[in-house]
This record gives sequence, C-alpha cells and structure tokens, in this order.
Amino acid sequence: MTDRQIQILLDSFWPLLKAGVLYTIPLTLITFALGLTLAIVTALVRLSSLKILKLIADFYVWVIRGTPLLVQLFIIFYGLPSVGITLDVYTSAVIGLSLSVGAYCSEIVRAAILSVQKGQWEAAFSLGMSRMQALRRIILPQAARVSVPPLGNAFISLVKDTSLVAIITFVDMFKKAQFIAAATYEPMIIYCEVAVIYLAFSTVLSVLQNYVEKRLERFTAT
Amino acid sequence: MIEIRGLHKSFGSLEVLKGVDLTLSKGKVLVIIGPSGSGKTTLLRCFNLLEVPDKGSLRLGDNSFEFHEHAKIPQKDILALRQNTGMVFQSFNLFPHMTALENVMEGQITVQKKSKDDARKRAEALLAKVGLADKADSYPHKLSGGQQQRVAIARAMAIEPEVLLFDEPTSALDPELVGEVLKVMKQLATEGMTMAIVTHEMKFAADVADHILLMDGGRIIEQGTPDEVLKNPRTARAIQFLNHLNGKAEDSSE
Ligand SMILES: Nc1ncnc2c1ncn2[C@@H]1O[C@H](COP(=O)(O)OP(=O)(O)OP(=O)(O)O)[C@@H](O)[C@H]1O
Ligand SMILES: [Mg+2]
Repeated sequence: MTDRQIQILLDSFWPLLKAGVLYTIPLTLITFALGLTLAIVTALVRLSSLKILKLIADFYVWVIRGTPLLVQLFIIFYGLPSVGITLDVYTSAVIGLSLSVGAYCSEIVRAAILSVQKGQWEAAFSLGMSRMQALRRIILPQAARVSVPPLGNAFISLVKDTSLVAIITFVDMFKKAQFIAAATYEPMIIYCEVAVIYLAFSTVLSVLQNYVEKRLERFTAT
Repeated sequence: MIEIRGLHKSFGSLEVLKGVDLTLSKGKVLVIIGPSGSGKTTLLRCFNLLEVPDKGSLRLGDNSFEFHEHAKIPQKDILALRQNTGMVFQSFNLFPHMTALENVMEGQITVQKKSKDDARKRAEALLAKVGLADKADSYPHKLSGGQQQRVAIARAMAIEPEVLLFDEPTSALDPELVGEVLKVMKQLATEGMTMAIVTHEMKFAADVADHILLMDGGRIIEQGTPDEVLKNPRTARAIQFLNHLNGKAEDSSE
C-alpha cells in the first residue's frame, strides 16, 4: 500500500464510522423494533382463529418472503409516488425493512410459541387465566427464550441488509463508502474498509447475543 | 358441591364419555379408577372445562353449566369456574421460567390481582405446608419430580379453589418419590379439602377415598365406598380390572 492509500484509509475511517453510528445502527434498531412488533402481532394472528385477519397475515408473509427486498424497496420509493404516495427516503427505508423483518421473524416467533408445551397453556388455564394472560405471563416468556438465537441471527442479517437502502439513495454507511470510493478512485480499499466495519458491528452483536442466551439459560433444564 | 349429570363427550367420532353422573360433596375425596382409555382424564378435565362436554350439566358451587351441541359457553363463566378449581397434572407442568415461589404466586397475582406481598406470604406458607420452604427460590429444573409435584400442589391451592383435581399425580414419578406426594395429598384430605383424584395407587385410594368410581368405556360401571368397590365388586368387568391391578402389584413386589 502506498502512503496515499494509507492516508485515504485513515481519512475515510471516521466519516464511515460516523455514517454507521448515525444512520446504519439507528436504522437497524428502529426497523428491528418495529419489525419485531409486527412479527409478534402477525404470529399471534396466524395462531388465532380470526379468519379474515389470518388471511391478511398469511398473504403478507407470503408476498414479503416471496419477493426480493430490493424490489420491495424500489416499489415503495420509486413506485408509490406514481399512485400519489410519496415517502421520503428515510420513511421508505424504515417501512421496507420493517415489513421484511416482520415477515421473516413472524415465522420464528410462531415456531417458538408452538414449541411451548401444551401443558403450559393448560396449567395457566387451570389457574383461571384468560388466553391473553396465559400468553403474556407464561407462553411468550418461554417462547422468547427459544427464539433468541434465531432472532439474534435475524438482527445480525438486518445490520447487513440495511446496506440495500443505499440503492434508494439513503446515505447510510455503505452509500457513504460509495461516495468516498468514487472520489478517491480506491474502491478496493474503501469497500474492504467498510466491510471490516460491518464485520465489527456483527461481531459485537454476536457477543451480545451469546450473553443474552447465557442469561436466559438460567431457568432451562441442563 | 359438585354435581354432574348425563355428561357426554366425543372427540370426532370417538365417544369418550357416554353419560356420566356423579356428586361430590364438600370435604369429600373422590377417587376415579379404571383401565387406560376409559375416559378418566377426560372426565376430570370436564370438571374445570379444559374439555367442554357436548351434552349434560355441571354445577360447582355457584357455577352451573348446561351443555348442548351448538351452545357456546361464555368465556367469562369458564374463567369463573376455573378460579374455583385447582388442577395437578401428571407431568407437573410447572412454569419453568419462574422459581417455585413465583409459580405459587402467579395465579394470585395475575388472576386474583393480589398484591405481591400478600401473594408472597401465602406462597411461602403453602410451600412450607408441602415441606419445601427451603426450595422457594429454586427453578423447577433444579427440583426432583416429587418436589416439583408438591410445588404444583401448592400452586393449585394458592388460588383457594373449592376443589382440587388430580390426574395421576404420581404416575410420572420414580417409585421412591411417590410417597412424599401421596403424604401431602393425604394431609389435605384430612384437613377437609374437597378432591377428585385419578390414580392407580390402590392402597392410597382405599386409604383416603370417601367414594370410588370405576370407569370403563366412558361409563361408570361401579361406585361406592372403597370397601364396596375394591373388596366386593359386582360386575365381571370390575372384577377383571381389579384382579389385573392386583396381579400387577404382585408382579412388581416379586
Ligand atoms: N384431545 C383428544 N383428541 C382425541 N382423542 C382423545 C383426546 N383426549 C383423549 N382422547 C381419547 O379418548 C379416550 C379416553 O381418553 P382418556 O385420556 O380420558 O382416558 P384415561 O382413562 O385417562 O386413560 P389413561 O389411563 O391412559 O390416562 C382415549 O381413547 C383417548 O385416545
Ligand atoms: Mg388419563
């Protein structure tokens, strides 16, 4: 590496990290929180006996899981304005990513709820709990434990998937890298650098995920 | 206090209860015995409507129900009934994410809306009663089967039910742990707790039961005091079943 390349590497580090901390991380957190809420609601609806809502939920999961996220983002950002719905790039990104997280994670949440033994529902019912009370107090806490590893994986995937929003002009960490690469003519260095920062983010999250799993293990059979 | 009349229940085309009548008065112990598949569990689960019968009637204290093919029972009536019954399951079904104490507090807090302090006091007293005061802070997986089942009994009693329902409470236990659970149940019986118990423990049944029901093929084929049913059964089917049980008991003692 030449001195100039090393200089570019160092100069671009802070702008990239800043874009990551200011945009990529908040975007990840917000969309995961919204997506997870959507996922829980969707999972509960699909497990309920509410016929119409169930059809809607099934349709939503089917469409989102069956089409590329990139195409969904294009429809929201470039397509919707032509039918009179214009959303700014932030809103578009949040909606697109949340819908995607919601659909994928609803499967995780659903499987986790179904993995809780029937006897747990019955024990809760035998104490006089309603379905909602049983869910909130007995079933969801156990389902949460089961779903931490797969949800952790989904979260880490999301950190990486946020880079797709660069294509709808959202200036996240990856878009910033594209700007710098274009200005300096050093795509190899800049893209590797941004890859390393993504890697650092996901590694920190993996460690965090392990920690949470360990904490939750305290009430499980050995 | 509990009155059941003409109870029918089918699962699909399989008729499991074919018209069951029974009465259980306050402070009495009812033991239900019978061969596998005769409908004992199903009958017991009708007491707290974990299974809703197709036909017949059920009265427990102030809660009365009439069952018909298409009549839907209001959820709030079901919840009210369940607050007056406690159930102990074969597989314990303790809440694994809660300590023994929290298990016993749960119904009081979530269902009865008691304060945490009141719930804790009662839970501690109940754990002491089943001999587990020192295990209050243990999670279920740290407890033996016998200890888990005793916590489950305390949990069922915590909501102050009018009747306790037991479905083969010792069947999942290692033989050496059966005694500690039966001892607790016997103590409750002496204290005047109303209980309905499905069990294969004949010695225990003869000991604590006020009334024994022998079921076969979804019907009660024999009932009365332990002496009447266990010593002087009248039907051929009952004699066959009791002999079979005795045979098994002798086999295992050899
Ligand atoms: N939820 C269900 N769906 C379909 N069939 C069921 C259901 N529950 C019970 N049955 C059937 O009903 C019959 C009676 O079952 P039940 O569990 O009441 O018998 P039991 O007397 O408790 O037997 P065991 O001594 O084996 O526990 C059995 O044939 C069983 O397979
Ligand atoms: Mg049974």
